[in-house]
Amino acid sequence: MLEVKNLTKIYNDGTVALDDVSFTVKDNEFLVIIGLSGSGKSTLLRCINRLIDPTEGRIIWEGKDVTKVQGTQLRNLRRQVGMIFQHFNLVKRSSVILNVLSGRLGYVNPWKSLLYRFSSEDRAEGAAALEMVGIEDQANKRADELSGGQQQRVGIARALMQNPKMILADEPVASLDPVLAHTILGYLEKLNKERDITIICSLHYLDLVQRYATRIIGLRDGKIVWQGNNKDIRKMTDSQFKDIYGEEAERVNAGSLVGEEAEKWHREKL
Amino acid sequence: MASRKIVAIEKKAYVSGPAAIVISLIIPGLGHILARKMGKGLLLMLSMITIIGLFLWRIKLLAHREIGFISQYVKAVDRKGFFIGFITIAIIILWFWIAKEAYQLTTKKSKGGFSIFAFVLLMFFIVGWQISEINLGRAIRELPEAWPPLSRILWPWEAAVTRATEELTASAEILVGTEDEGLPPIPPEVPGKPYIISTPNFGQLSSLDKQNNVIKGTVIHLKGKGFTADTITQIWWADSIGNEFRPRQDREYTSVLTDSRGEFTFDLVMPYRLIPPSAAGRQVHKVEAKQITEIGPFIPADPLRLTIALIIETIFMGMMATFFGIILSIPVSFLAARNIMNSSWITMTIYFITRTILNIIRSIEPLIWALIAVVWVGLGPFAGIVALTVHSVAALGKLYSEAIEGIDHGPIEALQATGANWLQVIMFAVVPQMIPPFVSFSIYRWDINVRMSTVIGLVGGGGIGFLLVQYIRLLDYKAAGIAVWFIALTVSILDYVSAEIRARFT
Repeated sequence: MLEVKNLTKIYNDGTVALDDVSFTVKDNEFLVIIGLSGSGKSTLLRCINRLIDPTEGRIIWEGKDVTKVQGTQLRNLRRQVGMIFQHFNLVKRSSVILNVLSGRLGYVNPWKSLLYRFSSEDRAEGAAALEMVGIEDQANKRADELSGGQQQRVGIARALMQNPKMILADEPVASLDPVLAHTILGYLEKLNKERDITIICSLHYLDLVQRYATRIIGLRDGKIVWQGNNKDIRKMTDSQFKDIYGEEAERVNAGSLVGEEAEKWHREKL
Repeated sequence: MASRKIVAIEKKAYVSGPAAIVISLIIPGLGHILARKMGKGLLLMLSMITIIGLFLWRIKLLAHREIGFISQYVKAVDRKGFFIGFITIAIIILWFWIAKEAYQLTTKKSKGGFSIFAFVLLMFFIVGWQISEINLGRAIRELPEAWPPLSRILWPWEAAVTRATEELTASAEILVGTEDEGLPPIPPEVPGKPYIISTPNFGQLSSLDKQNNVIKGTVIHLKGKGFTADTITQIWWADSIGNEFRPRQDREYTSVLTDSRGEFTFDLVMPYRLIPPSAAGRQVHKVEAKQITEIGPFIPADPLRLTIALIIETIFMGMMATFFGIILSIPVSFLAARNIMNSSWITMTIYFITRTILNIIRSIEPLIWALIAVVWVGLGPFAGIVALTVHSVAALGKLYSEAIEGIDHGPIEALQATGANWLQVIMFAVVPQMIPPFVSFSIYRWDINVRMSTVIGLVGGGGIGFLLVQYIRLLDYKAAGIAVWFIALTVSILDYVSAEIRARFT
């Protein structure tokens, strides 16, 4: 179980990214965070694995206070939490398999790994991870030779190599077309259901949210303004919708594209 | 946009049209400024001041002995009529042109074009031609005289190889003076050996009178036997202390062709030779006949061997300097990378100091560093390496630091999220991103360093340049030509190789 208590993050320039955020995530949930760009979704996700240090508040995961750990303990914690990113964050010039194997770095002998050496078990597991996401034949290509959808699958395979108990996904489908979005979220759902991995994911498209989320948090200006499950989202009133997405947002059709993101999507597609 | 344009046109000029003309005629460009064309007005004003200033300076230089502007101007026109005339007329035209444009601007008849700047540029071009003393006529006139050394540089290959020589020599002693001093002995003729005899075997050397006119010396008749047939035979002269030289007759070196029996006859005017007063007394000189035949295989001549040795030295100088440059610039580049150093004001101070030092070092050319290095470590390739290393550290430090600033932060974040430690993040996320720019910049620098080390010898920094400048000073244009060819060859091969490697890594 993940407990976030009174989490606040204020950046050096004075921006309040998170303002007293509290919620809990039970094991095996598929939690989706919605909100506008700049609402604090990315900051929240990065506080959970401490890529960003919160200013105040506590995050308790499996009984440990994440905000207190340092050094080796922090790395041991991070290796149990996979992360995938909007822009995939692969090392573009390295091979696909090396990108996948780098997910293993928290477990292997650090000195051996500096020479890019990995044990045969690790390599076998890497191949299996690629197979799971259906791109085992691309293993020796350079990461930047792959299409966007394939790169995000490499990102998932890399997270899988960590044997994670939880995966944080920061807008994992925002750079992909709707069909690929379903594929990628399908993999996350599969991991969530078959391997009991907790998923915390930020998303923009409400139809995707409705389809995959078991629970939803709406963030606006660093505050939680809405909570509910995927059934509640249909019953969301227009005023609640505007709480999350602002006065200018227009709800075209419940559960479809909204606000800026809808505009952006249409601009790109048309 | 459209509405903003209208506003700009509606802004009124500060003065009326005729006033703009008068103001422009007094101070060119001020009319434009008052017509709200600040930039153009200032630029024209500055151009005018610069052109007039340069013009006055050139007049002073052309007529530095004259006093007073009028007489200086007249003298200058006398010496460089076209230049002075053109610029004078152009300044007057420009002056009125600016006034006219200022009028048009204030009355909004036109917005003024760029043709006035084209005219200003033309004036600068003419002035520049004068200042830089361009003299195309001379370049063409002097070409015939420059051609022989030039052609030797362009095609130097006769000097690249040589053969062993065999000398067939015979000599006869000649007494400088009169018969009474006792004639030198005539050696006996040995069959099978070359032999010359001179009649008479005494006489007077050529000498100079007070007006430096040559007074011809005694003509001696030489008869030679026992030489190789049908071969050019050189006639040499050796003075009483054994200094040999080749006398000239009718501006050509003296030589004679042997006949089919290996014999020749030759009339030689005894050459001019300064005899120091201390050498008074009996003077016995020698006349020599030499046949030089080349035998054996062609072997590389000294210039070729030295050039190859020094080209190798040059390439390695460049390589060593690049190597040291890379090693030293890696740590420096981190200090000069903003994204690494932006964590606190202390590191930012270090960043700015490093950047400033690198910029200063880089702005001083390697040749100048070599001058300093020669003073420091003495002549030779090491001085060149020091100079190139210093410059490389600055240049590579900047390039590397920019590469570090340009890396994608995403993979670093992703690797941190997997629980990788600091070194692992560097090895897996930073190093792969750094390799292409690193290899590319390093190879590029090697290329530059070899290119630079070909000239760094000019100031004593070792390498091929050292040899080249010596050959040129000795007027040995063929040897210099060999060096030039090898430099061109090496640099172009390296250029190609470096381009290929860089293309593969990016």
